Amino acid sequence: MQETFWQRRLRDVAAVLVVGVFMFPLFWWALTSFKPTSAIFDKDGIVWFNFKPTLVNYAVTMLGKSRAELAIESGNTFGVGGASSYDSRQTIIDSLIVAIGATALTVLLAVMAAYALSRMRFRWRQAYLNWILSQRFMPPIAIIVPVVFMFHYMSLLDTRLGLILVDTLINLPIAVLLMKSFYDDVPVDVDEAAMIDGATRLQIFWRVVLPMVKGGVAATAVLCFIFSWTEFLLSLFLTNSIRTLPVKITTFVTSTGSEWGFIAALGTTAVIPSFIFILLVQKQLVRGLTLGSLKE
Amino acid sequence: MVSHHARSLAVDVPVSGTAPRRVWPRFLTSEHPFPWLAPITALILAFGVYPLLYALWLSFFKRNPITRMNVFNPTWNWGKLIGDERVWGAIGHTYLYTITALSIELCLGLAIALLLDSDRKGYGLLRALMTLPLVVPPAVTGMMFLLMLDGSFGVLSTGLVSLGLWPPQHPILASSGSALAGVLLADIWQWTPFMVLIMLAGLRALPKEPFEAAAIDGATPAQAFFRLTLPMLSRIIALAVLIRGVDLFRIYDYVKVMTDSGPGTATETLTSYAGTIYFKNADFPYASTISLFTLLLVIITSSLFIKLFKVRF
Repeated sequence: MQETFWQRRLRDVAAVLVVGVFMFPLFWWALTSFKPTSAIFDKDGIVWFNFKPTLVNYAVTMLGKSRAELAIESGNTFGVGGASSYDSRQTIIDSLIVAIGATALTVLLAVMAAYALSRMRFRWRQAYLNWILSQRFMPPIAIIVPVVFMFHYMSLLDTRLGLILVDTLINLPIAVLLMKSFYDDVPVDVDEAAMIDGATRLQIFWRVVLPMVKGGVAATAVLCFIFSWTEFLLSLFLTNSIRTLPVKITTFVTSTGSEWGFIAALGTTAVIPSFIFILLVQKQLVRGLTLGSLKE
Repeated sequence: MVSHHARSLAVDVPVSGTAPRRVWPRFLTSEHPFPWLAPITALILAFGVYPLLYALWLSFFKRNPITRMNVFNPTWNWGKLIGDERVWGAIGHTYLYTITALSIELCLGLAIALLLDSDRKGYGLLRALMTLPLVVPPAVTGMMFLLMLDGSFGVLSTGLVSLGLWPPQHPILASSGSALAGVLLADIWQWTPFMVLIMLAGLRALPKEPFEAAAIDGATPAQAFFRLTLPMLSRIIALAVLIRGVDLFRIYDYVKVMTDSGPGTATETLTSYAGTIYFKNADFPYASTISLFTLLLVIITSSLFIKLFKVRF
């Protein structure tokens, strides 16, 4: 069905408008992060662009400056108070360690398991696959109380390792499903040819099949990274001093008022790594997301 | 794990030269699925299955709030659950939330996917931009909408008020009638792109021929959509609804961040109620009971859905 000129223009306008609406909160968030407090809480209405942009919010959250230091630097000593609890450098490091650790562990386990599930024929294969996938249906809250007790005995409570293990558990089903669909796209002839040459399964996996699904591994890793990076509930229950970013950001809301500038600055920082990653693996992800459901 | 099938594979294969030496027991070699699947199985058993059984065991204990001891009393928590009005309220909110969000996200997602499904210049960028909300941490999304919906300085709420669409004396998130809608807005913003992404993948994989044939036969775009596109997408739609529905059912982040189940219990869902019992009352057995009950509802509802719509993986 060919579109006429005006139909095309109409589609263009509508598409830009819709995407614009979805981009607005992100734009507003980034804008807020450059606003001084007076422009965020303006009594006369919403401040759009008529404010003096400032980097204070980033200096406090990213460089660990206290507001007192910043005020003295700018020669203003009015209403200063220590605010070092807004320093988020350690939080970002902890979040990165947890996200990267969980991603590495998930990808390692999923790449292995999905290979066996895609290539080997054994009894209970489908049942086993369903069992792994069924873990996805379990609300994390259902296991969290016992996990707190377990971690308490294992000294894993409030540690990065503990968080990595639980994040891995949550990510595994989707990672296995994705990897399996990528393996299934590689013809079995490839394995058989290598087998005739006398290669073992491990050699075939490592030298032949794995290099062929590199793109899929990257897409799976990005998805796992984003899941761990954005995870909230597990970190809230299982950690106290080691905070991941999403939990840390909620502590900026206090009974005496919310530090919206800091929240926006940290929030903006939080989305940047994911944005970069997701744009890098867009193609593989869109293909992987159909999860083989289009194949008949 | 039984080995017969896997073994037959290796036996049939002619191995060049001499037969490999059998140093390891067969099930420990890479020809057998065991070593491939053992690590993942161990992890799931240790941190998934065991805690679940533990939670079930815990739900059979009654917590004494004064002595902080758990006493075996298998019917206590489950009886309390049935008689707990807040549980029933939370079930209502959870289903209301899930069904509303799911229908809006699905319709909007399909519509936007159709809109963005074009090969012309610039649409690739629009599709890429559309995926960005997906990767924002839900807790951050919650904060974002908390700021934008704030009664006195939020850009969305003041916008609605100045357009005369909302009475200024009822801040959206602080009024019991509209708080759930505010939370829904954050969810819809974040997850409609997920539906768009899945629907786009589906649309792009559709065969071209039926549409060409329909055009020749003089079918209108609406007819082509309802007679061709929708039926061919039905399988992926069912899968998307299932995945998203299960996630929606255990909604926690937005509620915790935006309203903390309030005002009163107006936005309390099953998961957030369990969280409250855990953090505020420290009644771990009852929190476990509510969580297990949530899991039970997820299983029942999704099995019904799978049966009803014949979803296959």
